[in-house]
Amino acid sequence: MSSREISSETVRRELEAIVGPRRVSVRDADLDTYARDMWPRLLLAHREGAPAGHRPHAVVWPESAREVASIVKVARGLRLPIVPYGGGSGVCGGAVPILGGITIDTKRMTALRGVSADELIVDVDGGLNGERFERELARRGYTFGNFPSSIYCSTVGGWLATRAAGQLSTKYGKVEDRVAGLTVVTGRGEVIETDGPSRALRGPNWTQLVLGSEGTLGVITSARLRVSPAPQMQIYRGFEVENVAAGVEAIRRVLQRGLRPAVVRLYDELDTMMNSMGGHHPDHDLQADAHAPVPTPGEGALPILPHPAPPPEDGVVGRLLALARGGRAIHRELLGAALDRANVVNRVFGAVAEKVARRGCRMIIGLEGARLRTEVEAALCFQELAAAGAHDQGEEPGRAWIAHRYAVSYRMSPMFRDGAFVDTMEVASSWERLMDLYHSVRTAIGQHAVVMAHFSHAYPDGCSIYFSFAGRGKDRAEAERVYDAIWRDGLDATTRVGGTISHHHGVGLLKAGHMEGEHREAMAILAGLKASLDPDNIMNPGKLGIGGGPVGRAR
Amino acid sequence: MTIGTELARAVGDANVAPIAGEPAAWQVAPAAPAEIAEVVRLAQRHKIAVVPLGTGIRPSADRGPRVQIAMRRMDHVIHLDETSLLVHVQAGLTGMGLEKILVPRGLSIGDYPPAVLVSTLGGILAVRTPGKSSVRHGFFEDAVVGVSAVLGDGRTVHTRVAPRRSTGPDLARALCGSEGTIGVITGAVLRIHRKPEARFAIASILPSIDAAVSAVYLALREEAALAGVRIYDAAEARIHFANATPPLPAMSEGEALVVASTAGPTDLAACDRDLVASAVAAEGGRTADTRLAELWWRRIHAGEPTPVAGPTLQVTATPGKVRAVYRAVCTATAGSGGARAHVSRFDADGAVVFFTLAGGEAARATAETAAREAGGYLLGARATALDPYLIGLRAALDPHGIMNPNALRD
Ligand SMILES: Cc1cc2nc3c(=O)[nH]c(=O)nc-3n(C[C@H](O)[C@H](O)[C@H](O)COP(=O)(O)OP(=O)(O)OC[C@H]3O[C@@H](n4cnc5c(N)ncnc54)[C@H](O)[C@@H]3O)c2cc1C
Ligand SMILES: Cc1cc2nc3c(=O)[nH]c(=O)nc-3n(C[C@H](O)[C@H](O)[C@H](O)COP(=O)(O)OP(=O)(O)OC[C@H]3O[C@@H](n4cnc5c(N)ncnc54)[C@H](O)[C@@H]3O)c2cc1C
Repeated sequence: MSSREISSETVRRELEAIVGPRRVSVRDADLDTYARDMWPRLLLAHREGAPAGHRPHAVVWPESAREVASIVKVARGLRLPIVPYGGGSGVCGGAVPILGGITIDTKRMTALRGVSADELIVDVDGGLNGERFERELARRGYTFGNFPSSIYCSTVGGWLATRAAGQLSTKYGKVEDRVAGLTVVTGRGEVIETDGPSRALRGPNWTQLVLGSEGTLGVITSARLRVSPAPQMQIYRGFEVENVAAGVEAIRRVLQRGLRPAVVRLYDELDTMMNSMGGHHPDHDLQADAHAPVPTPGEGALPILPHPAPPPEDGVVGRLLALARGGRAIHRELLGAALDRANVVNRVFGAVAEKVARRGCRMIIGLEGARLRTEVEAALCFQELAAAGAHDQGEEPGRAWIAHRYAVSYRMSPMFRDGAFVDTMEVASSWERLMDLYHSVRTAIGQHAVVMAHFSHAYPDGCSIYFSFAGRGKDRAEAERVYDAIWRDGLDATTRVGGTISHHHGVGLLKAGHMEGEHREAMAILAGLKASLDPDNIMNPGKLGIGGGPVGRAR
Repeated sequence: MTIGTELARAVGDANVAPIAGEPAAWQVAPAAPAEIAEVVRLAQRHKIAVVPLGTGIRPSADRGPRVQIAMRRMDHVIHLDETSLLVHVQAGLTGMGLEKILVPRGLSIGDYPPAVLVSTLGGILAVRTPGKSSVRHGFFEDAVVGVSAVLGDGRTVHTRVAPRRSTGPDLARALCGSEGTIGVITGAVLRIHRKPEARFAIASILPSIDAAVSAVYLALREEAALAGVRIYDAAEARIHFANATPPLPAMSEGEALVVASTAGPTDLAACDRDLVASAVAAEGGRTADTRLAELWWRRIHAGEPTPVAGPTLQVTATPGKVRAVYRAVCTATAGSGGARAHVSRFDADGAVVFFTLAGGEAARATAETAAREAGGYLLGARATALDPYLIGLRAALDPHGIMNPNALRD
């Protein structure tokens, strides 16, 4: 039977038998809501009021791994896809039900079963919201250390499914570095646990084979995660370096000396300038910007959720959009440039940026942790940066960054008017290839859009680069063409240089077509995992570039 | 054409030899992944097993018709990237062989036990056992940035090198620990390290094993980055440091000796040492002669002989279970003369307790049961609950079932 022929009603009846009538929905409003995530390309259509392209047959809210297993078994029987859905904050279309099916919203699985102080491990459900998770840990004197900008609207399970990275990853690692074990409902409809001291148990490490699978192998219902004692102190500072290359070299020296700041960020000339525009002193910024979530003592690391969302034209992203749009908030000099010709803009803008930001590129470095050691480490970091030619700008830039680090917009769509859009591309490589990666990708995106970048998430062996770009088309169709061209050229350039096409956002639908280039023959291993964990091909079809979906296809 | 001739065609006459006394077993020594791929395809056609061989410390138990792939000729460093501190090596090189190349350049594979590094890098990665970790760098697998392999279906794969990525699961991990059942590991890209600017050592006596374990975890919580740390119970310390210079101070029964080493930028390594000292003080310990710790370090890392036979029982325990495992084994074996132990290989996953049983092999079963019941994992343990998934993965990547067919089936 093809899932086209399966009515939502049939699915609802089957699901009600498992979770009862109140935790299943086939209402239009719900099916529309679960038709998309935060993938900007979908926002272009949404903005125009276009109907959702792909809706699930039903949405279900299970409360336990056992219920999830029963749901997966039902889906196997009906040959219907399963799409796990956490916060829906993914930016690659990972939670879009392209073949319909059952969307499993994990957000009713929220237990946090306590921290084992001896093991420094917390047992937590996959549906728990990131902010609540960190707050709960902070209350008990711990931190997991994963602070993505989306922490207010993403789930622990979503993090694990995408191998997310937080702002302090240089100290705490990406989420995959902090996992002791997972409970997973596989595509076979079985509940498995991957725990155990990994180095002691023979056979492959299943935890690492499930992390990052974006729902294509199973649903992560809970996890044992490593936590750290809450930091006793934080030291943040700004530095200026002459140019990107000098900054990259300085960061490499810090990391390879064995030092682990919590965060190091280096903004390229344009990013530095966009950050310092708006004409006010960072201090003034702090008070005047009502949207900036400023942490207050006793709140742990997290400020209260900023609301309302920043107005469309405010903030760095707004400025970037305005630039792409040829809008008003931008210096006259820049307006003089041919704004609909992004490559020209980038060239001209690059020159202007260099002039405006004559002092070079901004760098933010932050350390946190145990009192004694953090101070010693900070001194060594600053010494190393100075030796590499970076100029200390004091605490102010560091404080400004902390104050604004969650000031992201949760209401992107209003910004996407006039066919303009913004998005980000986060790639990574070894240090040896990093500048190559920077220039290649910047040039590739620069053909089509205004682009700026910062370097964050540094490791002893390499670093990630986070490109932000804004483009436009005269109508939605053209905007989508430009959007697709940016991603095609940017990711092709990445693969050519030998970088990875995603450092932390994941693959979803957006990068699925580039997975072959990323892994080449090793895709066979991914296909092998898929065959083993999801033999009927029902788990999140079309994502990660594997699994065309169950035999019967939907709508 | 006979299998022997076909093999000779694939790897060259000089590099194939029948295994003595067996009618249908050969050893080949290929020089490149393409040759291995050729051998694998040939084995598929003839339905004989493919068994990788590293240094042969713990060779596969597979017998019967087979071709053994000796990795010894694939021992080259392909690319040393000093900018990124990465090295691309072939899997037949031993850890020691690599270290010999790195050390003159001020680089090192890291503070792993040299006993591990005598194996080939392919063998080290193919078998997951608890000895292969370092408190400073973690489990050996964590050093892997990418692997190259020839899969059971004859396909050659290279996982892409990146410091981290979010493009699906870490595919290299399917090969690590798979004991040659998924494919032959032909190469790896590994993280390496600069020689530390400074090293410090510290020795202390703690009132009990419990206090010693607590002190170590307290120091780790205060974020002390240790290069190595070991706890000896009193009996073990007396044997390991008999006739040592300086002499071991008198220790009463129940006390424990803790030796630790730190490494890194001078200020930080000194800070880490001081963190150990204050953790020891907090747990009621007293300092001992630093040279005891230096002696321990030289024994492990500089080839100075240890005047003691190896342990008889190795048990891994997560941080919260170390004390219980130690107590359980000591109590259970009390009737047969007891046990002495040291605790080592601390990392985020836990630590390994190395027991020597006074009752010898006769006491083993009792000790093993006690260790398991206390939550420990015996050396070589396996999580068999996931076997159906491993079988599924093997079936997909080794459709002919020729790769180390008997491995990971115990
Ligand atoms: C404003 C903004 C800022 C962001 N900043 C960051 C950042 O700093 N760092 C970062 O890494 N990402 C960031 N992201 C991206 C996104 O928040 C992350 O990808 C996050 O991990 C997704 O979590 P989620 O719960 O929203 O997952 P969803 O979007 O619901 O799902 C993501 C993918 O994982 C699957 N999935 C979700 N839950 C499970 C589960 N329990 N089991 C199996 N599969 C599951 C889904 O099917 C989908 O494929 C940002 C996004 C936005 C909108
Ligand atoms: C129960 C047990 C516990 C052990 N504990 C420890 C320990 O605590 N510390 C320690 O240092 N060592 C330990 N070992 C030995 C460990 O196996 C070796 O460290 C190392 O893995 C052997 O390397 P080798 O080069 O000698 O490989 P070999 O002994 O030749 O081969 C080991 C296994 O790996 C496979 N293999 C070898 N090379 C490759 C390759 N390139 N690709 C794919 N498969 C390959 C072989 O087919 C064989 O199955 C233990 C072994 C066992 C069985």
